[in-house]
Amino acid sequence: MKAPAVIRVLLADDHAIVLEGLRALLDGEPGIRVVAATTDGADVTRLVEQHKPDVVVLDLELVGMKGTQVLAALRARPESPKVLVLTAYTDGEALRSALDAGADGLALKTESPQQTLAAIRQVHAGQLVFPQAARRWIEGRGAAAPGDLTPREREVWALMAAGLTNPEIAERLGLSDNTIKFHVQHLFSKLGVKNRTEAALKFAQRR
Amino acid sequence: MTRRDTEARAASRRLLATSERELQRIVLDMHDGPVQDIFAALSQLQVLERALAPDPPSQERTQRAIGLLERALGEIRNFIGAFRPPGFERRGLSAIIEGLAVQHETLTNQAVELTVPGDLGDCALAAKIAIYRILQEALANGHRHSGAMMQRVTVSRRDRLITLMVSDDGKGFDPERVLASEADVGVEGGHFGLRGIQDRVAMLGGRFALESAPGRGTSLSITLPAG
Repeated sequence: MKAPAVIRVLLADDHAIVLEGLRALLDGEPGIRVVAATTDGADVTRLVEQHKPDVVVLDLELVGMKGTQVLAALRARPESPKVLVLTAYTDGEALRSALDAGADGLALKTESPQQTLAAIRQVHAGQLVFPQAARRWIEGRGAAAPGDLTPREREVWALMAAGLTNPEIAERLGLSDNTIKFHVQHLFSKLGVKNRTEAALKFAQRR
Repeated sequence: MTRRDTEARAASRRLLATSERELQRIVLDMHDGPVQDIFAALSQLQVLERALAPDPPSQERTQRAIGLLERALGEIRNFIGAFRPPGFERRGLSAIIEGLAVQHETLTNQAVELTVPGDLGDCALAAKIAIYRILQEALANGHRHSGAMMQRVTVSRRDRLITLMVSDDGKGFDPERVLASEADVGVEGGHFGLRGIQDRVAMLGGRFALESAPGRGTSLSITLPAG
């Protein structure tokens, strides 16, 4: 029988006391082992090469090299480890930059370290670990335009793709021409398209 | 408007930007100091708590200490969430608003249905700050008082005017009574209230409209010049 798998973890954080604390906590956990720790972002890829960790816990504010650059470098590797970003910020920008850089999850330094521990196990198991609020970005991961379409915009989009003009759409939905123009404008900007043809094409290509 | 009024308004705008820079510094100090220390201390205490399993009274004492530190950390999380300026100088208004909606959902679990164009065009620093802080306050009010599951936010632009609408289908209230009770309160617990929203709008020469009544939801609409 195979021995139970141990999750090999690399810690990268610019605060040595955080590294020391997390290492103590994780090493006391069954099934988890810290294989390396560093405060220097420029060191991370070398350590990954050397120790082949399963999960990298990465603070975005490292010395030497920025966390997002480290993440990009890891993602460029043929066998990239799972990456859990550790940050103190709950705002959209922190969340967005972690997602855009290709992180597998986000844990907060303003929550219990037990949450970080749970998140390490979750990303290792292949889950994406982000706050529920990030769903609008996860669903559109890779899409250029931010924001979800509202139900009304979806309706307008479908009718536009079916070849209806603005006045026809207005009549169909019982709305004014100006309201439809307003929706069309938003729709174009959210979809990142310039005209109705491109919008219709995108409608046909949607999943 | 007299020259003196114009100068006073320009000075207010500069003050607004200065206070945001000060907030940035305070938040950074909190981040680099207490947050790291408490997080590290909690990690160590959790190791200790496990090791104390054979000694229940000591273990319980440690659990209490852990609980207190977690509470302190939670308060810092809310503080940082409320005060950290979202990179006003680097980022566009749409991105800032979207980030705020996500943060509100993350911290409160109350949904935000957001409609905002991908690009709201160029916008003066003072207008960006005002729109962000007003939206933040409106969302916080809606969360604390409305009892609604969800708030709707719509931002649009027409020529030089930006319009922000925040509404919910919650409990509603009597605006005149609330405004009167807020008259001399000022900033309390980081919240500047409806009066503060009105003041910020007035400082930038914008328009403010509030519709609400008990049992009928709330709808706030402000229009500001982009700069």
